[in-house]
Amino acid sequence: MASQLIREWSGIQQFPLATQTKLLELLAKLKHENVTTLTILVMGKGGVGKSSTVNSIIGERAVAVSAFQSEGLRPVMVSRSRAGFTLNIIDTPGLVEGGYVNDQALEIIKRFLLNKTIDILLYVDRLDAYRVDNLDRQVVKAITDSFGKGIWHRALVVLTHAQLSPPDCLNYEDFFSKRSEALLKVVRLGARIRRQDFQGAAIPVVLVENSGRCNKNENDEKILPNGTAWIPNLIETITNVISNGSKAIVVDKKLIEGPNPNNRGKILIPFILAFQYFFVVKRIQRAIKDDIAKEDKPLWELRDRGLANREF
Amino acid sequence: MSSFAAPGQLLNPTLSPSIRPRRKSATATAAYTPIFSSTAIRCDLSSSSSSSSQNPEPLKSAPHKTLRSLSKSLALSTAAGLLLHFSPLPSLISHTVLGSGNGNGDLSGGGGGGGGGGGGDGSGGFWSRVFCPVAIAKDDESPSQEWDSHGLPANIVVQLNKLSGFKKYKVSDILFFDRRRWTTVGTEDSFFEMVSLRPGGIYTKAHLQKELETLATCGMFEKVDLEGKTNPDGTLALTISFTESTWQSADKFRCINVGLMPQSKPIEMDPDMTDKEKLEYFRSQEKDYRRRIDRARPCLLPLPVHREVLQMLRDQGKVSARLLQKIRDRVQKWYHDEGYACAQVVNFGNLNTKEVVCEVVEGDITQLVVQFQDKLGNVVEGNTQLPVVRREMPRQLRQGHVFNIEAGKQALRNINSLALFSNIEVNPRPDEKNEGGIIVEIKLKELEQKTAEVNTEWSIVPGRGGRPTLASIQPGGTVSFEHRNIKGLNRSILGSVTTSNFLNPQDDLAFKLEYVHPYLDGVYNPRNRTLRASCFNSRKLSPVFTGGPGVDEVPPIWVDRAGVKANITENFTRQSKFTYGLVMEEITTRDESSHISPNGQRVLPSGGISADGPPTTLSGTGIDRMAFVQANITRDNTKFVNGAIVGERNVFQVDQGLGLGSKFPFFNRHQLTLTRFLQLKQVEEGAGKPPPPVLVLHGHYGGCVGDLPSYDAFTLGGPYSVRGYNMGELGAARNIIELSTELRIPVRNTHVYLFAEHGNDLGSSKDVKGNPTEVYRRMGHGSSYGFGAKLGLVRAEYAVDHNSGTGALFFRFGERF
Repeated sequence: MASQLIREWSGIQQFPLATQTKLLELLAKLKHENVTTLTILVMGKGGVGKSSTVNSIIGERAVAVSAFQSEGLRPVMVSRSRAGFTLNIIDTPGLVEGGYVNDQALEIIKRFLLNKTIDILLYVDRLDAYRVDNLDRQVVKAITDSFGKGIWHRALVVLTHAQLSPPDCLNYEDFFSKRSEALLKVVRLGARIRRQDFQGAAIPVVLVENSGRCNKNENDEKILPNGTAWIPNLIETITNVISNGSKAIVVDKKLIEGPNPNNRGKILIPFILAFQYFFVVKRIQRAIKDDIAKEDKPLWELRDRGLANREF
Repeated sequence: MSSFAAPGQLLNPTLSPSIRPRRKSATATAAYTPIFSSTAIRCDLSSSSSSSSQNPEPLKSAPHKTLRSLSKSLALSTAAGLLLHFSPLPSLISHTVLGSGNGNGDLSGGGGGGGGGGGGDGSGGFWSRVFCPVAIAKDDESPSQEWDSHGLPANIVVQLNKLSGFKKYKVSDILFFDRRRWTTVGTEDSFFEMVSLRPGGIYTKAHLQKELETLATCGMFEKVDLEGKTNPDGTLALTISFTESTWQSADKFRCINVGLMPQSKPIEMDPDMTDKEKLEYFRSQEKDYRRRIDRARPCLLPLPVHREVLQMLRDQGKVSARLLQKIRDRVQKWYHDEGYACAQVVNFGNLNTKEVVCEVVEGDITQLVVQFQDKLGNVVEGNTQLPVVRREMPRQLRQGHVFNIEAGKQALRNINSLALFSNIEVNPRPDEKNEGGIIVEIKLKELEQKTAEVNTEWSIVPGRGGRPTLASIQPGGTVSFEHRNIKGLNRSILGSVTTSNFLNPQDDLAFKLEYVHPYLDGVYNPRNRTLRASCFNSRKLSPVFTGGPGVDEVPPIWVDRAGVKANITENFTRQSKFTYGLVMEEITTRDESSHISPNGQRVLPSGGISADGPPTTLSGTGIDRMAFVQANITRDNTKFVNGAIVGERNVFQVDQGLGLGSKFPFFNRHQLTLTRFLQLKQVEEGAGKPPPPVLVLHGHYGGCVGDLPSYDAFTLGGPYSVRGYNMGELGAARNIIELSTELRIPVRNTHVYLFAEHGNDLGSSKDVKGNPTEVYRRMGHGSSYGFGAKLGLVRAEYAVDHNSGTGALFFRFGERF
């Protein structure tokens, strides 16, 4: 996969001019910060719109999207370059299968990501889902266990299907804030990030609408119900996250397999053994000796040893 | 079973106090099949309470003769075949032997004279030994014999010498008449036991005369008479009227051990001696006795009993024959209660002084003899080397110690635990050459050195759907052989091959070949180390590859181990020991169809099975080889209090990998188990007494640093881990802790219990490669609680699994702790 041909990012030309300008501006800014490659990992449950988002960002139908089932279990990396800047987007299969986190899928993703650097994680979920449950937490946990807590410093929560009419009693902003709050809480719990740490570097929440029926503004940019053009907004947020000082996640063998527990503490074994000998075995031996000394000898034996003193 | 139970012991102290324990063990069964044979320690005392040796010269019988006649009486009574149960005070032979203050002459005169009453002049040193045999031999007395009527008018009193010498009289009644107190004493009186006559018996005049003579000469009576009263039905009612011997009151008591002392023979006293000579004679006697007292060893009798006797003396005032009898009984009772079965009061001396001297032969061991017998009981030269037997014997059974029946029992148990003998007898007998001495004889029948055995069994394996089918009945069994006691040093080789299916033995063939070499430091060295070397194989279902609740079926993984092992066990006590050794083994993991599987399988959500589960071996190939050092130290001071186990048991075990084998495994795998059995109430110990309630606290920590293949991971759940769950249902982890408590309440002769248990992986499940706990959806921790009852060997318990909140009834064999 890594040998995949890096194609010219032609899709960018599909974007409306305003978006193009904005994007190029952001890319220039990244280049300015010596970032020439940007690898984005897109993860989330199945059917939330990961692939569509990838396609939207690239601006072409780079990955197959299917409405009803996941497209196999293989992650796909789409690489595009433009003006010396390379954008890699890794689309992954949905992490959930049968109500559980699909370990196997995760395993495949990890193996796929081996020896790659992840600059940004897009954790994708739907805005129009009302509830968060334990499964979300499991997914977040699985991601955290795989790539470490640090990945959440480079993460964005992406909410798709942004163009919705919220339930009656709420207005759009309230709904969005409630939904993102709930989701962030799940992320925080699943990633086991402490509250203080979390507040220090809040995970940005970005809205996305991949539908072709998405509203557009006067510049023909796809816009959200609140009026912002979401593609430039997404890229901008990504840029901001990259420049927030955190480190990119380098996926190496150690990260995937975790620290080999078999090697941990191996060097201490001689000391452990010595400790066991001197503080456990010796102690038990002493206790046995005490037992022998304290043992209730039958009276006849004591008498025989002359210990009775005619007392009994 | 109590630890000391030698199968089928029989302790059989015969008249002369001798134990003859007999051990019968099922000789045919091999050593490793547990034999539950009932333990019975029966103390049979074959003696006749009344028959005792007839001593032709009862008065002057020297003590050494006492013992000799003792053994004679043993033979005699055995011939009579009377078996009495061991009573705390077996009225062995020793009816009191009295020495009187002065008046030796009178006593030896043999007439009714007695000990010269209160007329003693206080020259107490004078002693004499009177052996008072109570009985007349019973051989010729047969109750079935006809008896003759007295042929006299009814209700007249006849003197003994008026009776006809040719008639056999039937005695209807025997009365004792105390002339001093002018009352009749009942049959419960201590004197009664001295008379061998029994109501309803048939006696000739000679019998009666002899009886009277023995009574008169035993020193208990100053005067004794026997007269009969005729009954209308032709029987006789006997009245024995007596005057008890009494001596000066005493306020001191001394008990001396005269066993093994050279006996001074009393010089014959010439009746023609002048007074001066007599005085001289008495003086020398007195001096002799003083010397004797001085030379005598202190006896074991403790001060409390001593004081008790003193109190008896004080209460009584005058020392009477009855009192002496009571003292004798008390002293002998103490000895016999404490297990000194050979101890006897042989004499009272120094009467008529202020002090009563009680002479005791305690039963000093003069010799310890070990002999081997063949199947027919002939003495043979055994194969077993003597030191092997000797080192099992308590020191108290060796020469120079006082024989105690408990020491004999201990020797019996120890020798029995060697498992070399089919029959063991510990038999004390009087030493004929050494007065008052005891020879302890140990008779052993050796087991066959070589045994071979085939055990077969049918097993019904659950077929499809869990139902047994006819085709699933398999013939299985064990073929084993044993060559024991090689070179007479208890070394042994044993081998066995077990399969559950003889038709298809390649499926699971378990073999074991073991060599045991005890007394590694030499048979004379008290250090008890045993070398064991074995090669083995085993096949077990791995509890690591087990599903959690709700996971239907996890394809099982079998772990086959084959290898060699050598270890040294040092026994500190019967239960505490230290074992260390080297293990080299090859571990193969297989799936259900016996194919080597390097990874566990798992069922995919789609229903398929994928073989990419957690790795089963360290090497990743399904076959591991490794060498490690294994050490295990067990401290166990538990004991049984009325059948309930009480005490403490600590076990620490380390497997230290040496870096030899596949992938150079280097690890330290350790486990510490602490179990305490707390007795919650003090109870009186003794047979038939209820056991105390016991609180059991148990903790088990297991951990591993370094390479940990999944088959060595610690699993949680199961009857010996956390009850209420299946084996491994809670997880498989690198470090675990299990805590458990159980309260046992005795009910009748068993107990019921409440328990609560918890097992936790301490978050270390993920540190096992492949995280089998998570792959098979297990919790990694869990608690349970419940209650149960012990029904014989089976425990029936209801355990509630706290993770799911459901309970279930379990039946288990054996103990949890």
